[in-house]
Amino acid sequence: MATDRDPLNPDLTRRRFLQGSAFAGLAAFLAACTSQTGTESQAPASINIPTPPPVTPAPSTAASPTPVPSPTGPLKFANWPAYIDLSGKAYDTEVYTPGSSPTIEQFKKKYKVDVDYEEKIQDNKTFYATIQPQFQAGSPTGWDLIVITDWLAAKVISKGWAEKIDQGNVPNATANLVDSLKNQVWDPTNDYHYPWQSGMTGIGFNTKVLKSANIPEPKSLKDLYAIDSKKVSFLTESRDTFGLGLLKLGKAADPSSPTIADDLQAVHDDIKPLVEKGLIFADNSYLKNFAAKKTWAAMVWSGDLASSGTEGDTFQFPDEGVMIWTDNLLIPKGATNKYTAELMINFVYDPKIAAQVEDYVYYVCPVKGADVEIKKLDPGAESNPLIFPTADIQAKYHNFQFLSDDVEAKLDELYLDLTGG
Amino acid sequence: MTTISAESARPGGWRRRLFAAGPYLLLAPGLLWLLYFFIWPAVQMFLMSISSGTLDSGFHVTGTLKPYTDALTKFPTQWSNSLLYGAISTSLDFLIGFPVAYTIAFRGGRYKNLLLFLVIAPFFTSFLIRTISWQILLGDEGPILAFLKHTIGIMPVDFSILYSPVAVIAGLTYNFLPFMILPLYISLEKIDIRVLEAAGDLFASSWQTFRRVTFPLALPGVFAGTILTFIPTMGDYVNAELLGSPKTRMIGNVIQGRFLQSTDYPTASALSFVLMAGILVAVLIYARALGTEQLTG
Repeated sequence: MATDRDPLNPDLTRRRFLQGSAFAGLAAFLAACTSQTGTESQAPASINIPTPPPVTPAPSTAASPTPVPSPTGPLKFANWPAYIDLSGKAYDTEVYTPGSSPTIEQFKKKYKVDVDYEEKIQDNKTFYATIQPQFQAGSPTGWDLIVITDWLAAKVISKGWAEKIDQGNVPNATANLVDSLKNQVWDPTNDYHYPWQSGMTGIGFNTKVLKSANIPEPKSLKDLYAIDSKKVSFLTESRDTFGLGLLKLGKAADPSSPTIADDLQAVHDDIKPLVEKGLIFADNSYLKNFAAKKTWAAMVWSGDLASSGTEGDTFQFPDEGVMIWTDNLLIPKGATNKYTAELMINFVYDPKIAAQVEDYVYYVCPVKGADVEIKKLDPGAESNPLIFPTADIQAKYHNFQFLSDDVEAKLDELYLDLTGG
Repeated sequence: MTTISAESARPGGWRRRLFAAGPYLLLAPGLLWLLYFFIWPAVQMFLMSISSGTLDSGFHVTGTLKPYTDALTKFPTQWSNSLLYGAISTSLDFLIGFPVAYTIAFRGGRYKNLLLFLVIAPFFTSFLIRTISWQILLGDEGPILAFLKHTIGIMPVDFSILYSPVAVIAGLTYNFLPFMILPLYISLEKIDIRVLEAAGDLFASSWQTFRRVTFPLALPGVFAGTILTFIPTMGDYVNAELLGSPKTRMIGNVIQGRFLQSTDYPTASALSFVLMAGILVAVLIYARALGTEQLTG
């Protein structure tokens, strides 16, 4: 152009636009580069089994009752969906709305403190990704009480990211925790956690559907693998699927025998042919699939089968053993309302309250004496082996143990390879 | 001397500068939005794609290319699934959508608005719920198959659509059909009907009119519709997850798995970039092939 741009009618030429954008992009790039200096790599605790942080010897006043503070609130409580008793409309929708849980309302009334209960946890990994940055930075996560599965609880505790529970504030829990869930390797003295619910993973099917298809009921994992893969589903949780896979190969998944990468590879190679033949991975949609005759048998979670209303839905304890997992209450480091959280833990370990919760949730109850109480609410539930497993079932328990970072990465990789990414 | 008098003869300096800055000020909100919500995250994602580390130990930019090599070599099935299913569902959408758009545009009459509303109506329900409802529709004993298997008896009882590629493609085609119909409708509607009549006057048959007049005039709509359908279907993961099996997984599922399940952010970011770059190249080639003068109407 011969003339300069007329100032009264400026022309945004392409050159000027590109120049401006290039500067903006460069600035963004530089800013991003410099902001990457954030996280330092943690010195990895090179352990197979996590140990809780060393207990500093408490001053002699630890045994005597601590002066009672008044509970602060609101208590920020994060939990999984359908994991607390619900009533009214919420009973059918299975979604918590403020005021729909009798347990929460009774707690609020008793201690005159507000509770902000959120069904925020859908998956351990995704929830962990939301709180890990705050833990790493040493700032509060915003939660006072969280419920996470044992392998994640072990990880959080071993990194020193859980608050130490004042046992003086939780006498119910200390007294009523069932023996089978005590003495976890990663927190033997329950300094940092108390179980919320336990669950079992095993084989599930609908007896009527199997009968109409002329298939014998699978009693062992070997039987399950032998059924036509197009009509079988495994689970969307890697630890549940691989835990049972290890049991099928005769390898224990217990903390005493550390699972090495080769064992996981063996499980993967065992399952891969089934995937080729049409195996799918399902979450609790397996119940729907049973009803639609899409699936004949599956790896299932005990609570779903226990509370399923459909006739014929059965949970089978596999011959090789049954996996047990526990979802645990933890107080994350930096919780604002630690005392209130401890009060809540104590509250739910009261057998009456525990029975109330259990009557809805229908998973394995960690509280002694709840079976007596639940008889009043729901006669017959106290002898349901899926809620109160008998001693011989407890003997077949296997727990999936804590994995070191690189073995965990291997598990993820193998599992994603099976599920197709 | 001349410069001084020239200076004082102009209107007030700051007003002039404000006027000159007009376009920039008006563009600023939009550009800032793009910068903060698109360019900045894209830069961060690029930096993540050349990092190494884990969620626990932190991610550090090391300039490694391993995420890219993994992204390009480790998932051949998923890449080909995405391309295949994306291409097939886009073509099906075009074959289904064009007649619908044509009918609404030329034969709609006073029902045009109602018909358009019917096309958009499914969007009032959430995408996820509609896809889940297809699980029921395509079930082995669902409304369609039960009818074919038991009432008419032309299908064998163990025939199954759910969790197969057919189900995934059906889901993709259904979910993105309105994105094809609407742009096609808009561009067909703009065609002056007298032009078509003129073609008839010049001894063109209906097919010739369509091929040589209507379709070329509708090309901007075809371009927009195919782009709006192909790009989302390539990156989709919901349909593959709900209606498919491990063998029908698409690249979107891989990205989701890497981000959420194994928190392998570098590989996930690399995959996202490769997908973006691939689609961009494909779109540019496509635009070139159609000819840019025709696309701008």
